[in-house]
Amino acid sequence: MRVTVTRTGGIAGLRRQWSAEPPDHDVPHWVELIGDCPWETAAEPSAPRGADMFVWRILARCPVDGQPVQRNAQLQDPEVEGPWQRLIDAVRDCDAGSSAC
Amino acid sequence: MVLPRAIVPPYLLARIAASDHPRFTHAADAAQRTLLAPRSYRPRTRLTLSIDGDTLVAEATPAPDRTVSDAQGRTRLPGVTVRREDDPPVADTAVNEAFDGLGTTFDLFSQAYGRNSIDDAGMPLRATVHYGRDYDNAFWNGSRMVFGDGDGEIFAGFTGSLSVVAHELTHGVTEHAAGLVYRGQSGALNESLSDVFGALTEQHARDQTADEASWLIGAGVFTAAVEGDALRSLRAPGTAYDDDVLGRDPQPAHMRDFVVTEDDDGGVHINSGIPNHAFYLVASALGGRAWERAGLIWYRTLTGGSLAHEADFAAFAEATLATAAAEYGEHAEETAAVRAAWTAVGVLKDDPTPRA
Repeated sequence: MRVTVTRTGGIAGLRRQWSAEPPDHDVPHWVELIGDCPWETAAEPSAPRGADMFVWRILARCPVDGQPVQRNAQLQDPEVEGPWQRLIDAVRDCDAGSSAC
Repeated sequence: MVLPRAIVPPYLLARIAASDHPRFTHAADAAQRTLLAPRSYRPRTRLTLSIDGDTLVAEATPAPDRTVSDAQGRTRLPGVTVRREDDPPVADTAVNEAFDGLGTTFDLFSQAYGRNSIDDAGMPLRATVHYGRDYDNAFWNGSRMVFGDGDGEIFAGFTGSLSVVAHELTHGVTEHAAGLVYRGQSGALNESLSDVFGALTEQHARDQTADEASWLIGAGVFTAAVEGDALRSLRAPGTAYDDDVLGRDPQPAHMRDFVVTEDDDGGVHINSGIPNHAFYLVASALGGRAWERAGLIWYRTLTGGSLAHEADFAAFAEATLATAAAEYGEHAEETAAVRAAWTAVGVLKDDPTPRA
C-alpha cells in the first residue's frame, strides 16, 4: 500500500510531495481512511475558484477485497476537508515520521 | 434594494447592457437595471482642502474601505473583525501590514489609473489574516484576500511583503475587469498581471524608477534558512531562489522554455514568467516610473474590454500593442517598446517587414 499526496499552486507555485507506505499491521486503518474519501466525485479537477489556491493530487494504491486498486483525486484547496483532510494529514504525518505508520 | 454578491461579473453585465442586438433587448434592459441598482455599500471618499489664492478648494477623491479579520488559526472565513477603516492600528503586526498594504495598493490604482477599488465602484477591501495553522499561502477567494502565517521553517509569513498583498488585491481587479480564466495561458496572464501590479505598487509607494526597483515579488516571505531572495523576479525569471529543499525557481523568460504541466492549474505560476519579463522589458526600455507608461498600457489592456476570458499570450501581446498605439501612436517609442518586448520573449514573431 502506498499513498502519495502532491500539492502545487499557491502564491509561490511550489510543488511539494508527501508519501506513506504503512506497515502491514496498520493497513486496515489506512484502508478505512482511504475508503472514507469520495473518490468518485474527485477524479477530475474542478474549476479553480479565486486565485493562488493550492491544488492537491492524491494517488492511493491499496487492496480492495484482496485486489490491488489504484485511486486518483484532484482537489482545489477548499475541497480539502473531512475525510480528505484526515487522509492528507495522515500521509504528511507519516512522511514526517511523526506517526507510527 | 441590496444586491447579493453577483454571480454575473460587472464586465459581462456591461457588455450585455451595451448590446443593441434585437434578440437581446430584454437582457440588455435587465443588465442595465442591474448595473444601475444601488450596491450594498457606499464608496468612501477622501476630502482634501487647499487654498488657491482667495479660494478654498475642496477635492473629493476615492478612499479605501478596509476591514481586516482574524481567522485565529482556523480555516473558517471571514474570522473575527479586528480592524475597520477608521480604527487606529492594533497590536497585531499582521493585521496592520494587511491593512496598510491594501491601502497602498488602492492608492496605486486610484492615483495612477483613476480606478476606485477592485470593481472601480468603491468595493470594500476585505482581508483575513492568521488563516489556518502553519499555512504556507496567501490567496484571493473571489471576495477577500486571505493570508496564512507560514510554517516558520520555509515561509516567515506573507503580509510583510507589500508585493504579495498587492498581488492578491490585483486578482480581484483582474476578475472584475477581464475574468481571465485561471488555467493555462489565460491563468498565467492572470498571475502575471498580479505580479506586474504587485511590483508597481511597491515602486509607486517608494517612488522608484524602473532601474532602481528590485522587480521581485515576495521579497521577505522566506525564512533565513531558505536560499532565495523572493518568490519571483520579473527582471530575471528563474533566479528568485535556488534551495536544497525547494529546488530552483522554475520560471521561464522565453516561449522556447514554456512548461507544459497539469500541476498548478496548468503552470499558471510558472509560465507567468514570460509575460512578466515582457513587462519588465517594456518598463526598462522606457525608463522612469514604470507605472506611468508601461503600467498604463497594461492597465488599459486589462480594463479595455477587448480581452477574451481565455486570452493566450499572443492575444494579450496584440492587445497591449493596440493599446499602446491608441494611447501614444502607432510609431511612438512606447508602441515600439511593447513590440520589441513581446518579440524578445518569443511571443510575437520577428516582423521582417520594415514598418513605415
